Amino acid sequence: MSQKEMFLQINDLHKSFGSGDTKQEVLRGMTFSVKKGEFCVLLGPSGSGKSTLLNIIGGIDAADSGTISIDGELLKDMNEKALTQYRRRHLGYVFQLYNLIANLNVKENIEVGAYLSDHPLDIDDLLKTLGLWEHRYKLPNQLSGGQQQRVSIGRAIVKNPDLLLCDEPTGALDYTTSKEILQLIEQINHKYGNTIIMVTHNEPIRGMADHVIKLRDGIVRTDEYNENKIPAAQLEW
Amino acid sequence: MKKAIQTVKNPLRRRILREFTGDWKKYLVIGLFLILMIGFISGVYVANGSMLTAFDESPAKYRTEDGHFVLSDEADRELLDRLEDDENITIYQNYYREEKESWSGELKGREKLSKKQKNDVRIRIYTLREDVDLPCIMSGRLPEKEDEIAIDRMHAENVGLKVGGKLKAGDRNLTITGFVSNADYTTLFENSRDMMFDALTFDVGLMTQEGVDTLSAPVRYNYSYLFTTEGGNGQIERAADDIKEKEKNDDLMENLYQKVILTGNQVDDFVPAYANQAIQFAPEDFSSDEAMAGIILYVLIAVLAFVFAITISNTITRESTVIGTLRASGFSRGELIRHYMAAPLIVTLISALIGNLLGYTYFKNVVVAMYYNSYGLPTYETVMSSEALIKTTIIPIVIMFVINLIVIAHKMRYTPLQFLRRDLKKHKRSKAMRLPSFFFLSRFRLRVLIQNISGYFILFVGICFVMIMLAMAVGMPDSLGYYQKKAPEMVIAPYETLVKTDHDIYGEVIKTKEKSAEQFSASSLVYTTGGRDENLEVYGIIKDSEYLDSEKLNDLDKDEIIVSKAMAGKFKLKTGDTIRLSAKYEDKKYTFKIAGINSYEAGSAVFMPVDRFRDTFDTEDDSFSGWFSREKISDVDEKYILNEITAKDITKMVDQLDHSMGDYMHYFQYLCIGLSAILMFLLTKLIIERNENPISMTKILGYTNREISSIYVTATTIAVIISEFIAAWIGYEVMIQLWKKIMSRMNGWFDFYLSRQGVIKMLLFVFIGYLIVMLLDFRRIKKIPMDQALKVVD
Repeated sequence: MSQKEMFLQINDLHKSFGSGDTKQEVLRGMTFSVKKGEFCVLLGPSGSGKSTLLNIIGGIDAADSGTISIDGELLKDMNEKALTQYRRRHLGYVFQLYNLIANLNVKENIEVGAYLSDHPLDIDDLLKTLGLWEHRYKLPNQLSGGQQQRVSIGRAIVKNPDLLLCDEPTGALDYTTSKEILQLIEQINHKYGNTIIMVTHNEPIRGMADHVIKLRDGIVRTDEYNENKIPAAQLEW
Repeated sequence: MKKAIQTVKNPLRRRILREFTGDWKKYLVIGLFLILMIGFISGVYVANGSMLTAFDESPAKYRTEDGHFVLSDEADRELLDRLEDDENITIYQNYYREEKESWSGELKGREKLSKKQKNDVRIRIYTLREDVDLPCIMSGRLPEKEDEIAIDRMHAENVGLKVGGKLKAGDRNLTITGFVSNADYTTLFENSRDMMFDALTFDVGLMTQEGVDTLSAPVRYNYSYLFTTEGGNGQIERAADDIKEKEKNDDLMENLYQKVILTGNQVDDFVPAYANQAIQFAPEDFSSDEAMAGIILYVLIAVLAFVFAITISNTITRESTVIGTLRASGFSRGELIRHYMAAPLIVTLISALIGNLLGYTYFKNVVVAMYYNSYGLPTYETVMSSEALIKTTIIPIVIMFVINLIVIAHKMRYTPLQFLRRDLKKHKRSKAMRLPSFFFLSRFRLRVLIQNISGYFILFVGICFVMIMLAMAVGMPDSLGYYQKKAPEMVIAPYETLVKTDHDIYGEVIKTKEKSAEQFSASSLVYTTGGRDENLEVYGIIKDSEYLDSEKLNDLDKDEIIVSKAMAGKFKLKTGDTIRLSAKYEDKKYTFKIAGINSYEAGSAVFMPVDRFRDTFDTEDDSFSGWFSREKISDVDEKYILNEITAKDITKMVDQLDHSMGDYMHYFQYLCIGLSAILMFLLTKLIIERNENPISMTKILGYTNREISSIYVTATTIAVIISEFIAAWIGYEVMIQLWKKIMSRMNGWFDFYLSRQGVIKMLLFVFIGYLIVMLLDFRRIKKIPMDQALKVVD
């Protein structure tokens, strides 16, 4: 792990919402780094600023001050067009709600991601990895929540992004399905070597991560590497 | 190493086809409507283009005259030779006789004529013309024997005459050998002064010389001329442009009047081709039809584009989180704008192509049939026009593109995060509007109304468009009916008898014993405005006239006049304005100040006291032009009578408009019901789609379908009713302005009139359209599933 180069560097990040009396500082000087290929979990309760942080890393929100550098590129120097290209080339996004396109089938929803990449993964291979091969011609409304989240992960990973951002990917799922999704994310991390940052408020998930950053009230409370990493299948909560 | 080749095609494209199949009813309705609309307009362009080409070729093909003049007596050859030499023209004898036309038996089409009209059909019979104004044979053949006649095709069809059939010209029984189109009567204007053409009671016929000689009506000494090249080698030379043509004709007219007077003859009429409505009206009408068709098409496309844009805007709101995800994944704003714009553009393109195909094949014939129903047109060949293709394909696509681009790009202005959070409202209402303490369901309806105000605004715009069309469809027959009924009140007097001369052959002033007769003087002047010449009558009225409100007339200052209501309305003249009039055939100008407007509605006219008239026009103290009377003047020798104007002359224009447009206006009314139903179908669908979740939720709460419909459909009904009333008023006002434009092209004027019943009809028609949609809305609401509101995913 230590020999891996720093991929994401976040330095003194500030972000607030509202103004005057209603001003609320969500990020209050956040600083940390993530290495390439790392599975990093951002852990924290509601309102700790973890989703805001993820959105800023993803280039869909902007910080008030501070810097983010990904693979040597500074996000604040990018205009909207450059940010779109940055997301297109480097990022995959998985949300708590799957946001699939209703009138495209499973395979086509994954192709939506593949289209954005010059070097997409093999879609059929990915469908098998995701356990969706049998369902590839079904529409999203014919799938269970877990299956839909698999499609959403497939759509994000198919373009083989350098960085996969997952915002509470198990937030809308039951225990069993959640574990299946976590196993899938773990499997992807191993198989394709993408850097993964996952936001969650579910404490036990930290067990499967390489790197765990605990947030509270907009600052990093702990930033530690997991010495006793366990497979997702063994997680219990 | 990264692969440089992108292997996956944009899968969003597949959504477009599924969008079409998924919402096929909507696209089918819009598509069919566009196809029919574009098809018809394309048909108008192709038909007009082909007809105008036929008209352009007409002068060479049929040797259409450059003008004609009518003399009181036959011209001597020396006069004609001098004119030909001086003016580089060739003059042709084109004599005619006017007889009463009648038929025996009841024929198809004859029921369109009233009894009065049947007894007053005139036919102008020319000797077969071989050098000028050659006939185009539409069916049958030209006459060969003295009891044979070829007549105008359009008149024949209007009254139901057939080739091989019989007609009576005066007391002569004649066999109809053929139908023709005459180059100098493509539109059947009896006189160039007429307000409107009259293909019902006016006909033009051709007979052999021997045949014409057997007629009893007097000969009218009509001479047609063609300009020739200088040097007099007889080669026909058309004027290079309108100005040159006018100059040439002006020179000829001046010379003609001077020379004719010297021979003791008199010019009764001089009509250059450019001022001859019978020649010019049809091509001018085609051009204006084209412009009008274009405007209707573009407005309609704009409305549909707007409906599309709003529908897409609604879809974007619904798919907000998906768009946020796609944007977050790297899809650019441009890619998504293009994606959402694809459907309307594809529909427009396909509809335009199919529409054009139908335009060139089916609709062209429909339009041509319409024109043949109004005009005595020659034969034509279909001319494929790239202009038509551009106007009915490229421009609609551009309109569709621009409107959708503006609306969709505006909707796509939000950040990915705003899309993900469904945060798409610019101004969030901080507090709910407080409502009066109505019954709960009433407040609920009011909330629905307020919440969907933007959707209802679009519905209002759609209804406005339908109402403008309905105002035309209902208002035109209404206006015609109104004037048909009101005509007797519109004339100055029941009889207006014009005399050729005020002294008889013995030098005595012509008199009548008719008690109600009142002398007046009249002259024709021209009012030139906006590049157009309007012929008008100037009346000199006696003091204390029985027929005109003379109080004002008696008080007029030296340069003051009273203008007719029709003229004031047409040219937006008001008291205090100064107008400049000119003599038609002389270089004389008159400037008058308007001191008042009287109630005369039948045409453009100005009035002044008779003494002033005599001073102004330098006529004798006892001179006059005719009489106003309540009864027919029957004791004056017919040879002194120039014309007799009664209410039927006023209704001539109305009758013809009613005949040409009446039926179409009824079809147009049904089309408007269909259009209102389509627009409301699309727009109410939008409103219900926007409210699917709340409707679903109310179902979960236990509301019945009937209760839910009463909330959502009643809100829409209220919006429709309010929109209807406002839109009816807007439609009426817009139509008044459009009507002014239509009328400004005609000699004469009458205001747009919409009866109370007409307004009710308009409101009712749109409401009928809405009732159909309402039933569909009930079904839509019924079909919304209860789990709709519980879905967290798309």
